[in-house]
Amino acid sequence: MSATLHVHTTHLQFTNGLEVVAVEGNTVGECLNHLIRQFPQMEKALFAKKDKLLNTIEIYVNSASAYPNELGKSIRDGDTIHLLVALAGG
Amino acid sequence: MLTRKERERYDRQILISEIGLAGQKKLKKSRVVIAGAGGLGSPIAIYLTAAGIGTIRVIDHDQVELSNLNRQILHGEKDIGKNKSDSAKRKLRTLNSTVEIEALTETITANNVSRLVDGCDIIVDAMDNLPTRYILNRCAIEKNIPFIHGAVSGFEGRVTTIIPGETACLKCIYRGTTAKKKVPVIGVTPAVIGSVQATEAIKCLTGIGALLTNRLLIYDGLKGTFLQLTVHKNPQCDHCGSQ
Repeated sequence: MSATLHVHTTHLQFTNGLEVVAVEGNTVGECLNHLIRQFPQMEKALFAKKDKLLNTIEIYVNSASAYPNELGKSIRDGDTIHLLVALAGG
Repeated sequence: MLTRKERERYDRQILISEIGLAGQKKLKKSRVVIAGAGGLGSPIAIYLTAAGIGTIRVIDHDQVELSNLNRQILHGEKDIGKNKSDSAKRKLRTLNSTVEIEALTETITANNVSRLVDGCDIIVDAMDNLPTRYILNRCAIEKNIPFIHGAVSGFEGRVTTIIPGETACLKCIYRGTTAKKKVPVIGVTPAVIGSVQATEAIKCLTGIGALLTNRLLIYDGLKGTFLQLTVHKNPQCDHCGSQ
């Protein structure tokens, strides 16, 4: 399945400035693995350890929160994935 | 009751059919806590004071620094070194002397938060860190007080409104905390986000419009876009899961 992944601003440094990346996979986890194969630095930016996202990363599929079990969430052709990083400033 | 002067002062917003005289009276009776008198707290406090909220309690433990002045428009050069809550009170009283401003120079903790927000109708989040936001979130849920979350970084800002027992809370949306570090920000970002939060407060207090509940509004000033994401109440949430 092909999906469109929107990279968060803080991660643009790891994707050569690309804000939108085409990814493939049957699940969010597979799509993230595909992203990491294209941009290896994204692994540390997203994962605390294998199959465990950092707790500051939130994933939305088709504009809806994928939490919990984000990595196992199914992806269909044309889906949109947004990666968010928690914001703290005020 | 509104005085003749108040009717004149708020004439333009009373003309908004959704607000009217009834809505203005509700605003006058309302008590709002603004947690933080910095970048977000400045526009929130200014617009809620201008709108005629009855009582506004501003809580901030900090003093004004020169590096605050690019975004914290409640404060000026003469306020450097002074308590932010006191500085805010002085400015807000100048703007609207009919609004009761309570200035508290205290650090919000799990131990004092209940006292600090006691008696208020709404808590508006203008903090600069996630741990204190979580303290406010939990307290808002326990005391059944609507909580309007906002946060900024750089040109990006986010807003959501939390109605305890009904909607996703902050802990349903975020679970972690970010590293304590200087957050880059330009003043126009909290100006936008704080204005949206003030709008949510006015809507919530008057019972009008559609609140940003179960929705996370994301503003990207660089792209000039607003993105709306759907969030869900998490039955396993350690703050609101039992409600």
